[in-house]
Amino acid sequence: MLRFFGTRLAQLALVVLAVTLLFYWMLNLLPGNPCVAAFGGAATEEQIAECERDRNLDDPVIVQWAKWGGDVLTGDFGKSYLTGRSFGEALNTALPRTLLLLAYSQVLALGAAIPLGLWTGYKQNSVGDKIASGGAFALLSVPVFVLGLVLILVFAVRLDWFDLSGYQPISEGLGAHFRVMFLPSVTLAAGLLPIYLRLLRTDVIGTLQEDFVGTARAKGLPVRHVLIRHVLRPSSFTLLTIFGIQAAQAVNGAIVVEFLFDLDGVGSLLVSWVAAREFLLVQTLVALIAAVFVTVTTMVDLLYSVLDPRIRRK
Amino acid sequence: MTDVATTAVTGSQPDVAPRQRRHNVALWVSVGWLVLVIASAVLAPWLGFIDDPHKPLSGPPEEGPSWSNWFGTDQLGRDMFARSVWGGRLSLSIAGPAVGIGIVVGGLLGVVAGYFGRWVDLGVSSVVNVALALPALVFALFIVTMLGQSYINVTIAVTILTIPAIARIARAQALRFAAREFVTVADMMGARWPRLLFREVMPNVVPALASIAFLAMGIVIIAEGSLSFIGVSVGSPSITWGNILSSGKGRLEDAPHIALITGGVMFCTLMALNFVGDEMLRRLDVREARI
Repeated sequence: MLRFFGTRLAQLALVVLAVTLLFYWMLNLLPGNPCVAAFGGAATEEQIAECERDRNLDDPVIVQWAKWGGDVLTGDFGKSYLTGRSFGEALNTALPRTLLLLAYSQVLALGAAIPLGLWTGYKQNSVGDKIASGGAFALLSVPVFVLGLVLILVFAVRLDWFDLSGYQPISEGLGAHFRVMFLPSVTLAAGLLPIYLRLLRTDVIGTLQEDFVGTARAKGLPVRHVLIRHVLRPSSFTLLTIFGIQAAQAVNGAIVVEFLFDLDGVGSLLVSWVAAREFLLVQTLVALIAAVFVTVTTMVDLLYSVLDPRIRRK
Repeated sequence: MTDVATTAVTGSQPDVAPRQRRHNVALWVSVGWLVLVIASAVLAPWLGFIDDPHKPLSGPPEEGPSWSNWFGTDQLGRDMFARSVWGGRLSLSIAGPAVGIGIVVGGLLGVVAGYFGRWVDLGVSSVVNVALALPALVFALFIVTMLGQSYINVTIAVTILTIPAIARIARAQALRFAAREFVTVADMMGARWPRLLFREVMPNVVPALASIAFLAMGIVIIAEGSLSFIGVSVGSPSITWGNILSSGKGRLEDAPHIALITGGVMFCTLMALNFVGDEMLRRLDVREARI
């Protein structure tokens, strides 16, 4: 067990190092001096020299990367040479928003997918199942930005139920917070829902054939009890796996949704830095996001093996 | 027992035919729509009824659909029908080559990994798994920023995204077929590995890859759409579905047709691609092929 964890963690560390090095190396492919670009072309000799010292530009790429890694580990993420604003400062305001958005959308998607998946699997091929499955299929074909625009048009512009005034923290009151966060979370959840639903439905149909389900029904347990206690349980592994895979892809949606709803989260930060050609910051942020997601995926894998001992023996 | 068996057999028989027919109708509608979209995108410069998409004041600005402007007009009075067609032209001309290259490179990588196994498989699989764990849009954003916002660079970025996903599916398929009897028999008859790989395994993986191509096409169109929606695809004055939607975002109150119609065209195209892909997978009985 310990050995299994050890190997997985060592693999994880290697992958994180490789991924950050890859992004670091790609920046060096860029023609010209990144420090000149960092000031937007209007810098004095001293400023450029200072920036070059900061970034260790005279060293080979691998040494630059190692020093950058050391800085990041000690909490020095660099700063924008254009505005003087530090990376940490920007991330401090942006990160909670993105995390909340991701959390709400996962809760909404799972909250809808679990009952719907159990029900459509149980009532396989009924009219309701066909409508739900068809709807899920259609939803898979709607790009996030199209769905978001339609929701804005209907619920914010026409019905005026929700605000589009940018982010409101929870400290401004739960009402204000959810009036701003509800539509973005629904938009993001709508992309996840059909994936969870389809998977869960297939799983439920399979589990319902098992003997233990027949036994439970024969004992006279109510259908609802059997579905929740006996059928959902083995499917939780499937949900967990797909959750790990989708976590990384949810960030794609988050970037678009934050842009669409002016939320100024991590995704918007990335887009605005790209637009301002702040390559040094973009690089650090992308490397961090990549590292976080490789870690999340591995953690889900590990959790999976803790919950289901069969995996470890393979 | 016999009771259950007979109802299962007779009960399911009449059910299959209408379902199949419904699927056939939906399949032909999807194929028809795709042919229409692709033909208009390819022939756009030569079709007389498609206006110049850059010409201002083809009609009064921000007017809804009418006889002279089928899809209405945008802020500058440019014809939205022409812009939708030309937007599709660019989106498809990025997605086509991206998926083509993705299928060839990803397919080869996956089949080789699945067929040879051991360290080849280990190498390919670990790179593929890491690539799939990275948020795709962040990666594409990074590449396009580094290389610059041009047609070629956007195509490169989305192509790189398709390769690992396709490689994973090709690998699963190759694994499945490499263990089949006809491959073992050919092996025992003394066939060498290129023959086994290209004549025995590969022809069985190709149909799956062909159906995956439709699904991958949809994903690439969404990826490119997201990039251009946030302003990081091919720069203006190029027209893409994503940047039409982006400009329609600010005009939802007064001219919702700009976003709605373009979004609708995109939705129909994606739905048709997904339906054709799913249906091909179902008929070829391909498992483990979700992207």
